[in-house]
Amino acid sequence: MNNRAVPLVFNLLFLNLLFNSITMFKLILLKELKEIIQSNRFVISFAVCSVLIILAFLMGAQNYLASQAQYEATIQENRAQIAANTEWYNINHTITLPPQPLMALVNGVSSDIGRNIEMRSRGELIAENTRFNDEPLFAIFRFLDLEFIFGIVLSLFAIIFAYDAINGERTSGTLKLCFSNSISRASFIAGKFTGSFLGLSAALLIPILIGAALLPVLGIELTSDEWLRLTFIVFSGLAYFGVFLTLAIGISSITRRPSTSFLLSLVVWIFAVLIIPRSSVMIAGRMVDVPNLDEIASQKNNYRIQLFDEDRPKLQNFSIPKGTPPAKAFPLFSKFMGELSEKRQDKIEALEERLNEELENKKREQQKLAFSIARISPAAVFTFAVSRLAGTSLDLQHRFNDSAKEYQKLYSNFMEEKTGKSSGGIRIIVSDSDEQEEKKNLDPDEMPAFNFSETSFKETANSSFTDIGLLLLFNLVFFGGAFASFLRYDLR
Amino acid sequence: MEHTESNITPAPMLEARNLTKVYEDGIKALDNLNLKVEPGKIFAMLGGNGAGKTTAINLFLDFIQPTEGMALINGINANKEPLEAKKHVAFVSENVQLYPNFTAMQNVDFFVRLGGKTHYSREQYEAALHRVGLQSSAFDKKLKDFSKGMRQKTGIAIAILKDAPAILLDEPTSGLDPKAGIEFIRLIGELRNEGKAILMSTHDIFRAKEISDHVGILNNGILMAEHSSDDLRGVDLENLYVEYMAGYMEHTESPIANALKPS
Ligand SMILES: Nc1ncnc2c1ncn2[C@@H]1O[C@H](COP(=O)(O)OP(=O)(O)OP(=O)(O)O)[C@@H](O)[C@H]1O
Ligand SMILES: [Mg+2]
Repeated sequence: MNNRAVPLVFNLLFLNLLFNSITMFKLILLKELKEIIQSNRFVISFAVCSVLIILAFLMGAQNYLASQAQYEATIQENRAQIAANTEWYNINHTITLPPQPLMALVNGVSSDIGRNIEMRSRGELIAENTRFNDEPLFAIFRFLDLEFIFGIVLSLFAIIFAYDAINGERTSGTLKLCFSNSISRASFIAGKFTGSFLGLSAALLIPILIGAALLPVLGIELTSDEWLRLTFIVFSGLAYFGVFLTLAIGISSITRRPSTSFLLSLVVWIFAVLIIPRSSVMIAGRMVDVPNLDEIASQKNNYRIQLFDEDRPKLQNFSIPKGTPPAKAFPLFSKFMGELSEKRQDKIEALEERLNEELENKKREQQKLAFSIARISPAAVFTFAVSRLAGTSLDLQHRFNDSAKEYQKLYSNFMEEKTGKSSGGIRIIVSDSDEQEEKKNLDPDEMPAFNFSETSFKETANSSFTDIGLLLLFNLVFFGGAFASFLRYDLR
Repeated sequence: MEHTESNITPAPMLEARNLTKVYEDGIKALDNLNLKVEPGKIFAMLGGNGAGKTTAINLFLDFIQPTEGMALINGINANKEPLEAKKHVAFVSENVQLYPNFTAMQNVDFFVRLGGKTHYSREQYEAALHRVGLQSSAFDKKLKDFSKGMRQKTGIAIAILKDAPAILLDEPTSGLDPKAGIEFIRLIGELRNEGKAILMSTHDIFRAKEISDHVGILNNGILMAEHSSDDLRGVDLENLYVEYMAGYMEHTESPIANALKPS
């Protein structure tokens, strides 16, 4: 006997089995595709989804154009205000966060954070004028953006299609008829998942592509970097959709009745989409104590008073050397006062910086915790992924602040150059000339321009890919669960 | 009734050996069932509701695991090598349900391919649907608009097209009108003549007697009696059945039963 014959036969058997499995897998996949497309359920929900998705693009576009107009108006107003002045120290220079198309599609925090910062040469910068502040109606209803539509609609769409994937075929008896043939359970469920995922996501891509194609038509030009990020936003959307699809298939393979699995899927959906992301913030709030702003303000104030008290004896001890002519005495006193106040200011700023840093650190810690808790929910993971990609995650706020701080140096130098005064302290202006020279209006172009650097794909890739990976992991875990429970599923 | 020339008897296509099923809740649905169906034979399982007929068929299809014994299809243990065993069997369930959003044609195409037959043309599908008595106008209608009988016919067409040597039928005539019932019985006869081994469960005593080569009477999971069609010739099977069901055979002397008893 040829002893090599055994492994050969074994290999052939294995190949045959593999071939059969693939054939069956393909057959089920195609069946699933056809069945979905021919169902009323699909026709109706596809129509609704398409309308909503295209609407999200339209609203996003409109939103962006409106923000753009408002942005330009603010800039114009600022320039006009500078141009109306004759002295640089009189101006109120305001910098503004420029709107971006992806911001309009995935709002994130962009409407919650202040867009305008009034420049000061030194000290804290405070962003004001949030979008919701200006248009409170939107704060109630939020915007119908892509993240919302995807987050809510895609997940519901998935559940509507898959809640009865397995138990529906059981109650209808087709499961028995299928398995009276030589097909493995693995091929069956893999084919079913792949078929429904491909069918439904291809269907979803149609309105998404139409929506994306509408952007240039509506006059919104995306850079190639923005297109790339939008592509990944859509990809995250599909991965997120897959999570709920596998979840619903899993639920339908641990329950006997479609009505049960529908209810169960809905409950899981409510928790995953609505409850967990919200409660994570509450839980994190309980676990990490962040000092509130009033506390910090009063701390700063107390310190200011304390410093002033400390300086009081110095003031009392100040004496002008005997024989100083009165004309020189005043500048001397002024200089002394200036120095004192500058020292105080430095100390206060040091404290401010320390407190702010502490606050920032605590906040970040709380945020990190909240995010970690929220990541139990695929909906939160999806939100993190797409808001990062769109540049509207909480990082936007830090980014704007950092840009503003960077700009503050430029501004401060500029102002010093123009007004000849060092920033801060008490500014005593002594006009010592009586001659009325012709005052010229200021040229706003002289003011250094504020450049906000938008997030780039490269920057977001790192952080958003973790979340996209997490979404894929959810897919894998839920599919594994569905797979395992289907292997033991009672087909009758 | 032992076959004297058992050495030339063809190997059974379907065989239950000491097949026993006790469900999780402790119900003994099938108790030590032994039966053989050879190619070209029809075995009818008679029995009241809950007798264990569906349980027996489910065991052949590996939908449930036997507590004891084995179900063999073409000599292959259906619970040990289900994928191999099921290549040799076609199945029509009690209440055929197909994909409601598919047309009859699409359903047939899918299930026949699933059964491993990929070479059929549309004409052959049509011929099979004609053969089971489905009107042509229904071929491209969606299944959700089908009556129970029409679904049953489509299911039978699928089983025919799978062209497997063994066929399992669970109350195949339950949804059919009398005409369709007669046609169905004729069809089953044809399949038998083609050499298929057919195991069917039924409540229909007359048809069972008319068509079957063997009739087994199940009660409470126990095969009470098994008779060949020759044994039953001239016997009032209905009475016999009722007697078995009532458990007469064990205690009292029944004239019919006496007539059947080997002397
Ligand atoms: N999944 C199950 N779990 C527990 N008991 C079951 C299960 N399925 C069937 N039984 C029980 O097993 C017995 C046999 O049931 P089976 O369905 O095989 O009967 P049947 O002969 O097909 O009846 P019918 O003519 O009504 O179809 C019944 O007592 C039934 O209650
Ligand atoms: Mg039954």
